[in-house]
Amino acid sequence: MMRVLNICVIGALVLAAADVYTIKFDSTRQAQRVAKLRLEIRRERDAVAALRAEWAKLDNPARIQDLARRHLQLKPVEAQQMDPLDNLPERPANLVAVDEADPIATVIDNPGILDRAASGNVPAAAR
Amino acid sequence: MMAMHEPVADRPAPARDPWRRRLVASLLYGRNVDRAAKTRGRIALAVFIFALGYAVIAARLVIFATAPEGHGSRRAVAQDAVATARPDMLDRNGEILATDVRTPSLFAEPHRIIDVDEASELLTAVVPEIDAAELRARLASKRRFVWLKREITPEQRAQIHRLGLPGIGFLPENKRIYPNGAEVSHIIGHVNIDNQGAGGIERWLDARGLADLHLAGLATDRLQTPVELAVDLRVQHAFRDELIAARANFKAVAAAGVLADVRTGEIVSMVSVPDYDPNNPREALDPTRINRLTTGVYEMGSTFKALTLAMALDSGKITLKSAFDASHPLQYGKFAIHDFHAQNRVLTVPEIFTYSARMALSLGIEHHKWFLRKMGQLDRLRTELPESAEPLVPKRWAELNTVTIAFGHGLSVAPLQAVMAISALMNGGHLFPPTFLKRSESEALALATQVVKPETSEKMRYLMRLNVEKGTATKADVKGYYVGGKTGTADKVVGGRYSKTKVLTSFTAVLPADQPRYLLLIMLDEPQATPETHGFTTSGWNAVPVGGAVIARIAPLLGLQPRFELPPADKLILASAGGR
Repeated sequence: MMRVLNICVIGALVLAAADVYTIKFDSTRQAQRVAKLRLEIRRERDAVAALRAEWAKLDNPARIQDLARRHLQLKPVEAQQMDPLDNLPERPANLVAVDEADPIATVIDNPGILDRAASGNVPAAAR
Repeated sequence: MMAMHEPVADRPAPARDPWRRRLVASLLYGRNVDRAAKTRGRIALAVFIFALGYAVIAARLVIFATAPEGHGSRRAVAQDAVATARPDMLDRNGEILATDVRTPSLFAEPHRIIDVDEASELLTAVVPEIDAAELRARLASKRRFVWLKREITPEQRAQIHRLGLPGIGFLPENKRIYPNGAEVSHIIGHVNIDNQGAGGIERWLDARGLADLHLAGLATDRLQTPVELAVDLRVQHAFRDELIAARANFKAVAAAGVLADVRTGEIVSMVSVPDYDPNNPREALDPTRINRLTTGVYEMGSTFKALTLAMALDSGKITLKSAFDASHPLQYGKFAIHDFHAQNRVLTVPEIFTYSARMALSLGIEHHKWFLRKMGQLDRLRTELPESAEPLVPKRWAELNTVTIAFGHGLSVAPLQAVMAISALMNGGHLFPPTFLKRSESEALALATQVVKPETSEKMRYLMRLNVEKGTATKADVKGYYVGGKTGTADKVVGGRYSKTKVLTSFTAVLPADQPRYLLLIMLDEPQATPETHGFTTSGWNAVPVGGAVIARIAPLLGLQPRFELPPADKLILASAGGR
């Protein structure tokens, strides 16, 4: 009786030890993975920072201005060129009906539509 | 043990033991000892000692299992202590002004180096910038750790790694990068080789506790919250570009400018050329490259008249309709004070302001002093920037000082200080210290003191606008932004006397004058006459057109909506003020 109990206890002990060992081993492996990922994150973050710094350097207004002067015909905006949205005129009426199969062909066939559109005298039916 | 001395009297030693055993027994135990009891005691002792040993081992195992590798983390701290990180600096739109980049640095442990000659030869081949003799001396020294070269390139690192020299290693260090070069130098400052702030906001960061964190080895993480500044990089660039052009055009010693938000006190842009590249901090030592707006003090000239008039209007002693006799040069004792723009007739208050006449409005010395102190013109202005200058206040403040200070001579202030005061005159009378960090309108109002009445502020804005419509600042009337402005031309003191030729011109503008948002100050130090200015060096010919160019360029960036066909100042501003 006592012997059976002892054997059971010893068996349980071995099993528990094995289980603890696997848990410990697993946790060590996980910890290593965490450390590795941390290092990777850190490297990535450093790389991101380096790239952001480079981006900022390339995005520098002085550099853009220099490039724009050399390669573009653009000039700084003047106050007169700006207008608030409220001043936007009403949207002109559609030249042709929305469900027209080939709108461009319709305009080519009836050049008179364009004159009407320019004068703002577009029949309401065309909308 | 407890059984050891128990006397056993009535048990005679058994005679039938062999003699050898009796001998051993008599050598080991005394004659009258109970051996069984003794044995039990010894076993108990052994059990106790072994149990103790196993308990220690078990406890140690638990410690090992729960605590992470101790020596590894200690090494990481030591390594990071070198690589002190600083928070990024962003402008108000999130553009990077300063950031950290990790670069390897080369070090040596001389005691581990086998062949000094070979090592120094190979290293100089890879890194030619190192002085060969100095490198040899360092490698041969007795120290345990020496830096060989801070901040090497990744390619050099790979090459040195391939050399496989013992005792040579790399540590990653954070290098501070300023991607915009000289653009915002005077605001952000710079750092030294150990990443400690040596000026501007960088220094302020250290003073705010970053230095302590560094010492504790804690500020190593890149995740520190970035510092958001009030400066707008794009505005700053446009502003600086115009000022560099102006400085070249007028061959001025220096050109400087500030753009402040009058509702929050934020400095949206601050330029002082010549400036320096913070990536090359040695340039900062050059005294001509100082920040003239905070570190220099200047007599602001007629710009100060705005303060004088505001004081007079606020006191109620004069109104906009008051008239003064300007038919003769202003006489004070034996001094005759002449005007740049002499009119020689009776002038009203708006006329005085727009012709920039020199006036002697006297409300008494004490009142004048009290008002200027209230406006923060007599004390040193403290901002986040460590650089600041004490205003030069006359030691004995007599009647004559009051007369000259009224038109901006005899009191030298930092230009940023004047900006603070004039902002208060524009925004309805709220005076708050300027800031280089982001600040909301409500935060600013919490700091504010009411220095003049809101009506006085309205009147001052009317005068400023009038000055642009038909005064000395007509060249700054950028269509669409309703600019108001005040010019200033101060004779410079050269060798203790006011120079006839060297002047400091300034232009203070508010835009838009009816709903003030921004205050602009332009300052030119010793501008020269050019053919376009017809030989004049007064503000209206140099600082004002520069101001106009700056406004035309930066107003769209600031998101100000251009408005055309606005009525003149007396209709728009004074009418809303409810008459005079």
